[in-house]
Amino acid sequence: MEAETIRALLAQAFPEASALEVEDRTGTGDHFHVTVVSPAFDGLPLLEQHRRVNDALAAELADGSIHELRITTRGTA
Amino acid sequence: MKSLQEQIEEVIRNEPVAVFMKGTPDRIMCGNSLRALQALHAARAPITAVDVLPDPRIRQELQALSGWPTIPQVFVKGELIGGADITEELHASGELERRLDEALGPDRPQEVRVVALELGAS
Repeated sequence: MEAETIRALLAQAFPEASALEVEDRTGTGDHFHVTVVSPAFDGLPLLEQHRRVNDALAAELADGSIHELRITTRGTA
Repeated sequence: MKSLQEQIEEVIRNEPVAVFMKGTPDRIMCGNSLRALQALHAARAPITAVDVLPDPRIRQELQALSGWPTIPQVFVKGELIGGADITEELHASGELERRLDEALGPDRPQEVRVVALELGAS
């Protein structure tokens, strides 16, 4: 799938994000590294931050269109 | 024979550090599983590894229990720590070692063992 599609899903889930990056790590459209910086993460444990990113991409992870997902998250506080 | 779900629950509950991974520590089949193991080794963690590759049901049952969609998954004393990225980040900040000290003590053994789940008929 296209990095841009993932970016749109993340933008929908994190409308307040101050940074959203999606890198297709292998150029094959199934290994991605996403970076999300959002005030929605302020004060949340890392596990919970990653859980929210996973939730935003749950369907794509479940059906295998994302084969590998690396996640970097940060709050803005 | 115990169900897969019961066996997975037992590993999570009883092992100091449980890692559900692709492959085993001496035959790692995925870069993310490797990254998680390296961070755990560096933080002097004992490791009990479960290979999820022998049967897709292992991954399904694990995900149903943990609510976490990707492999690897690292548990310390029954609590989900996260996947490879979180384990690496926690190691880099010193938090992983701190949590292991807290949960298992600073003189913890560093054995690596592998648990093979009994799969039975599908």
